[in-house]
Amino acid sequence: MTESAPSDEGFIPAGLAALGIEADETDLAVMAAFHGLLWPPLAELLALDTGDVEPERCPDLSRGPRL
Amino acid sequence: MSEPLDMGLRAQAAAIAAGEVDPGELLDAALARIEERNPALNAVVETFPERSREMLAAAPAGPLHGVPLVIKDEWPLPWRAQRFGAAELMTPTAPGESGPYRVLRDAGATIVGVGNMHELGAGSTGALSYYGAAHNPWDTERCPGGSSSGPAAAVAGRLVAGAVGADGLGSVRLPAAYCGLTGLKPTFGRSAMEGHHLAPITNLIVSGPLCADAGDCRLLGSVLCGEELAAGDAAAGLRIGVVRDPVSEDVTPEVAAACEEAVEALRAATGGELRELALPDLEAASLAGILIINSEAMSGATPEKLNRLSPELSPIARGTLKYAMLLPAAAVTQAQRLRTLMRRRLAALFAEVDVIAWPTVPAPAPPLDAPVVELPSGTRSADQANVRGAALANLTGIPAISMPVGLSEDGLPLALQLQGAWGADELLLDAAEALERANGRRWVDAVPPLAEASATEA
Repeated sequence: MTESAPSDEGFIPAGLAALGIEADETDLAVMAAFHGLLWPPLAELLALDTGDVEPERCPDLSRGPRL
Repeated sequence: MSEPLDMGLRAQAAAIAAGEVDPGELLDAALARIEERNPALNAVVETFPERSREMLAAAPAGPLHGVPLVIKDEWPLPWRAQRFGAAELMTPTAPGESGPYRVLRDAGATIVGVGNMHELGAGSTGALSYYGAAHNPWDTERCPGGSSSGPAAAVAGRLVAGAVGADGLGSVRLPAAYCGLTGLKPTFGRSAMEGHHLAPITNLIVSGPLCADAGDCRLLGSVLCGEELAAGDAAAGLRIGVVRDPVSEDVTPEVAAACEEAVEALRAATGGELRELALPDLEAASLAGILIINSEAMSGATPEKLNRLSPELSPIARGTLKYAMLLPAAAVTQAQRLRTLMRRRLAALFAEVDVIAWPTVPAPAPPLDAPVVELPSGTRSADQANVRGAALANLTGIPAISMPVGLSEDGLPLALQLQGAWGADELLLDAAEALERANGRRWVDAVPPLAEASATEA
């Protein structure tokens, strides 16, 4: 499941460095574990072609969408 | 009459209204019960007897007059800021009159304590909290569910008959399932939320009741919604949609059997029908919910704040907060597009069925020290497994209810979830009550071992 995750050794330190966020070894271990779980389905989500989904303008979650 | 504290919410309110129970004595009994049982449950993180007595002294006549309740550590009270189960929040909090506090006060209720919760609302087990883990009254070595862990454990342990939780990705329904309770996630925007630190920005989180049965949820839910969730016969001829997907199939055999039996009982009781439905992209919808709630929770976060996180935050919270800062904006945009797609799919489905049913959780409560579940697909973290069936209602805004439908071989509750169209909260309560009648209230009246002593003494 984690095969499609970009290496946390690159993604996470690079992201943290870009934003100036400090992390110790424990932080990095937690982030790596979370990354391994989250990234593969996230990549699948990004790969979903939703181009034909007409955006819902200011959706009112208390009601159904206008069809 | 049974011990007043062991009655349900409606019965307590009715007995007080009839003059059969003194509300002052009931409050004292609740405080004593908390003192007696809370060491085993860690369900209630703070009591304030003088404040509670002041509330009672000033309580107006109302549907909950004199009834003691617990509220989750997610809203401020006039004398206490919420901690959100954490040592530190990204958004400042302060004491104040939150929406749930106001509606409870105006209904005559007495807030007797604040309920524990999973740290930052970011988990479905209740195993992690600034206050320490809450424990499941059915087995105190097991997770009570989360993030409304304390409210659920408090009601199941008969410390109180009702509690207010919050549901952002299942946080009322999941602990209800683990603790053998009924929990309602109202339609988005219908229940009181003011004062929640994310209220101005959230499109996911709602307040909701946790009680023993649907009738009690109807009473407390009506107070939270500021309007009567009227009982009716809307469930007659109920068209039940069943989704054959991981949410129904990647579950333990006990969960599958109990939920199938319950769905069939509900169909028979309502003279309804079952329809098989296809609802693609449920896994992606769960992730969409996670991404959106993460983006809401990170509101106000800055790299500087993340570099100054309290050392009292758990390592998991520290790491996940920092990781959330790295998530690509494109993913959140894609999540919102998927939300639109799922809302449209649901709107079309709800033209064909009245409710959609699947197990609330794929497995009963796991151990607190190893919150993982064994499913046909393999070993998963409970959080990963639970969000799959819970997130859709939050993502799309629809109401959902969880109700107990059995016990596992280990004596742990099993639960069914029903989801309805926007505004169909009353229908869900009607359906849950129909199921209770059909199974002779066997599961809503079941008492966990920790609470059995007082129930049998009465």
